[in-house]
Amino acid sequence: MNEPAAPKPAPRIAIVGAGPAGCYTAQFLRKRWSLADIVIYDRHDAPYGLIRYGVAPDHLGTKAIAKQFDRLFARDGVTFVGATDIGTDLTLDQLQADFDVVVLATGLWADRMIDTFHSAATTAVGAAPVAAAPLAGVYGAGRLTRLINGHPAESVQGLHIGRRTVIVGNGNVAVDLVRLMLTPAEVLVSHGVPNEVAAALTAGPLEHMDVVGRSPVYAAKFDLAMIRELGKLDDVRFTSDSPGDDVDENDETAAQAAGTDAPADGTAKADAIRELVEGSSPTATRTVAFHFGWTPDRVFASDAGEVGDAGEAGEARVSRVTFTATPGAGQRDATLELSTDSVCTAVGFTETEGALLRRDAIASPTADLERGLLADGLYCVGWFRRGPVGTIPANRADARTVADAIIHDVEAAAAVLEAAVTST
Amino acid sequence: MKFVILYGTESGNAETVADDLVDELSADNEVESIDMTDAELDTLTPDAFFLVVCSTHGDGGLPASAVPFAELLDAERPDLTGIRYAMFGLGDSSYETYSRGSERIDERLAALGAIRVGEYGRHDASDGSLPNDTALEWARDLVSTLDDVAAVA
Ligand SMILES: Cc1cc2nc3c(=O)[nH]c(=O)nc-3n(C[C@H](O)[C@H](O)[C@H](O)COP(=O)(O)OP(=O)(O)OC[C@H]3O[C@@H](n4cnc5c(N)ncnc54)[C@H](O)[C@@H]3O)c2cc1C
Ligand SMILES: Cc1cc2nc3c(=O)[nH]c(=O)nc-3n(C[C@H](O)[C@H](O)[C@H](O)COP(=O)(O)O)c2cc1C
Repeated sequence: MNEPAAPKPAPRIAIVGAGPAGCYTAQFLRKRWSLADIVIYDRHDAPYGLIRYGVAPDHLGTKAIAKQFDRLFARDGVTFVGATDIGTDLTLDQLQADFDVVVLATGLWADRMIDTFHSAATTAVGAAPVAAAPLAGVYGAGRLTRLINGHPAESVQGLHIGRRTVIVGNGNVAVDLVRLMLTPAEVLVSHGVPNEVAAALTAGPLEHMDVVGRSPVYAAKFDLAMIRELGKLDDVRFTSDSPGDDVDENDETAAQAAGTDAPADGTAKADAIRELVEGSSPTATRTVAFHFGWTPDRVFASDAGEVGDAGEAGEARVSRVTFTATPGAGQRDATLELSTDSVCTAVGFTETEGALLRRDAIASPTADLERGLLADGLYCVGWFRRGPVGTIPANRADARTVADAIIHDVEAAAAVLEAAVTST
Repeated sequence: MKFVILYGTESGNAETVADDLVDELSADNEVESIDMTDAELDTLTPDAFFLVVCSTHGDGGLPASAVPFAELLDAERPDLTGIRYAMFGLGDSSYETYSRGSERIDERLAALGAIRVGEYGRHDASDGSLPNDTALEWARDLVSTLDDVAAVA
């Protein structure tokens, strides 16, 4: 290429959110525009979003991805402005006035709730749900993983994990919880988990966990490596209620309906669970029971006053949960009833209630979400663009797409401007 | 000497390693770094020495950016006789398939006639460290042995 190097535009860019999506976007934009002002804002003092406050602390390799982003601020001339909530401390309008390009990378980190699980169940099935206060002993995975990761705004107050717990969900976050809750307190602390959180998680101590997923094992969302890793835990016996042997035709159909690339992928998941069950010690003193194909039904509270030593006096606490067989998931019984001290739901993430930056409210009629475009000069990336699915690497691919769109739009606008200047 | 750094990455670590290797080597050499996704067959010329930096993802699989390169080699089966390269694999030993992604590239290059030189470098992310320092040390050792080879020849 012999074209003379055109002077590169140096737009002023604000990125809202210093999670992986925002940081990868900054990396790609910096590679293209060495002179651009790039500022990343975050509502927290410290950057890196869910890499810091979501990813399990014993997954050091994944946590270490944050270190590559340190270079952005240490030597690539990207500015980090923490403790600044966009929407309250600074408005989006203000940012748009001060910068040529604004990129929203604010993620979606609020726990998705199961209506009948996160409030005291006093209604019959089918009746309108009551808007009761959250029931003691029912926790969202987001809150637990923030606590485990020392999030400054979370408090361990009211957290009581007893001898038996139920984990609802079949994704990697559910498996993170299984693993972390069965890890000795001192090991947790060695990974940086605050003392009081490690103590609360292991106070029971846990003797039995039920892990309940809506899909059949073939359509479960966890990665194989996550299941294999459970096999390294000491003193745990695993069981599964999934029909043993070969791929059951019904399960296969259900898995396909659930949109996985079953049975190839699904069979591997069933195999991983079977290997975990068969490889675990029959004499272990702790048990983890996997249940596949069960949809959450209701939670039941112990009567106030009937609370054990773990609860606050007079507080209604969860004591029992029920599930119904997921249609087509190959379960024979109609209901599954489990008694428990606590329930942890890991069923996905969503928009925070009352969030000031909501994608659909901000998008203009000319928005093109495929490219991350929300309005002129305003873009979105990461979980905020795509929804709360996908790993950290998926945000890199996403950031590349959106950075390419930004580069294209800015350079096209600069070319138009230049043409206008030379033609006059 | 002319170096080409070919990197395959998914979460970006191998790319920052490539950036650091460029900084390290460019004082005394001609150096270029190329994402495997963008590599073409005429990138693979015998006048350059290749530093291949590749991570592992999925379950012992290639990182996303290395997939098109592997497919290119499989489809075109170029004769790589005369090409010399060194390998640096990024992985995590908590997986049974530690560093396997880099080996998948190594196997392809070797099968097509290229010759691997020096130590097979590896970085293990399970200790929470970044691969960059390990890779720089590996590259310095490697380059000093290449100098020896050149001096003898
Ligand atoms: C519990 C949990 C565990 C996970 N474990 C893994 C794992 O092991 N491996 C893996 O690859 N992926 C994992 N993921 C997925 C991964 O964390 C996400 O893919 C990724 O973090 C999404 O990136 P993001 O940048 O879109 O959002 P986030 O990481 O949520 O980043 C958003 C950032 O924006 C900031 N922000 C939000 N609103 C505002 C505002 N109004 N003003 C200023 N700043 C704001 C937030 O403080 C945050 O820093 C996990 C996710 C969760 C929830
Ligand atoms: C989702 C995921 C899957 C991984 N799978 C493997 C694996 O199977 N084997 C391995 O050795 N390392 C594995 N790793 C570790 C990576 O290879 C390691 O973190 C590396 O530094 C990533 O480099 P990259 O950022 O260039 O892709 C995995 C990492 C992640 C995030």
